[in-house]
Amino acid sequence: MLEMPGGDGESSAVNLADTESETWIRNLRSEGVDRERAVSRLHGFLVRVAAHEASRRRPTIPEAVHAELSDLSVQAASDAIMAITRKLDTFRGEARFTTWASKFAILELSTGLRRRIWRSRAVVSDDSIAERLADGTPSALDAMEGRELVAALTRAIETELTSHQRLVFRSAALEDVPIDVLAERTGSSRGAIYKTLHDARRRLRTSLMDQGYREGRTR
Amino acid sequence: MKDPFFDRLLGTDDIDPGCEAGFAIMEQYAEAVLRGEDVALTYAGVLAHLRNCPDCREDTEGLLAALRDIEPPSDLG
Repeated sequence: MLEMPGGDGESSAVNLADTESETWIRNLRSEGVDRERAVSRLHGFLVRVAAHEASRRRPTIPEAVHAELSDLSVQAASDAIMAITRKLDTFRGEARFTTWASKFAILELSTGLRRRIWRSRAVVSDDSIAERLADGTPSALDAMEGRELVAALTRAIETELTSHQRLVFRSAALEDVPIDVLAERTGSSRGAIYKTLHDARRRLRTSLMDQGYREGRTR
Repeated sequence: MKDPFFDRLLGTDDIDPGCEAGFAIMEQYAEAVLRGEDVALTYAGVLAHLRNCPDCREDTEGLLAALRDIEPPSDLG
């Protein structure tokens, strides 16, 4: 058990169930050779984690970006080390330290990769929602009630959402623009954009239900 | 609205804790999954979030894959 400062300034017990996690924390908090060695070893591990994730996503990544995956992985590991160092006191030992650390490498790789892929792509949000919905929906939507629902949804997008909600909903839900990319373009965070998307979805769903649409597609 | 297309489009859940809260316990969720625990009840909020947030879902799948395939360093020298 290590003692860590709590948010209110008091110490709170940390349940480090395994000695390896405890050793990582102790070394990363130390100074000199022990810390340098721990940082170096952790960086090497996180490069492997990031590279593994890059490799996993490779089939969905444009070929033009493939040559950059190695650099992106190293950069993600370096950024993760900075985040981990900053947040070390928030580690509560409820999972292995290396698992906790790995999620930062995944997040950094993922965010960097999405932004890189979309770097030269515009986030376009035009008004052809009905066409897009119709194009992407199962054939059942060809039925009259389906077209009515699409029309109702299109109206609701225009009348029920704020301009920011409209941009986020159209981009994230209809165009599959990654939330991370929207966050970057709007100077926001993944969490804030997701909250906007969540609120927009709820508002649209409520609007459709108020118009009589219930389970399924018919009124 | 149980239609998969509209559920994907308009899916929300009251127990969805959002991205930050989900990220805060992502490692606990991942280890529970790898231990074979039934996470449907213990991590219902996380699962709700992962259903509706494609970015967090993809990241969590990545963490699980990495944990399955990569042995962390044990020799801390």
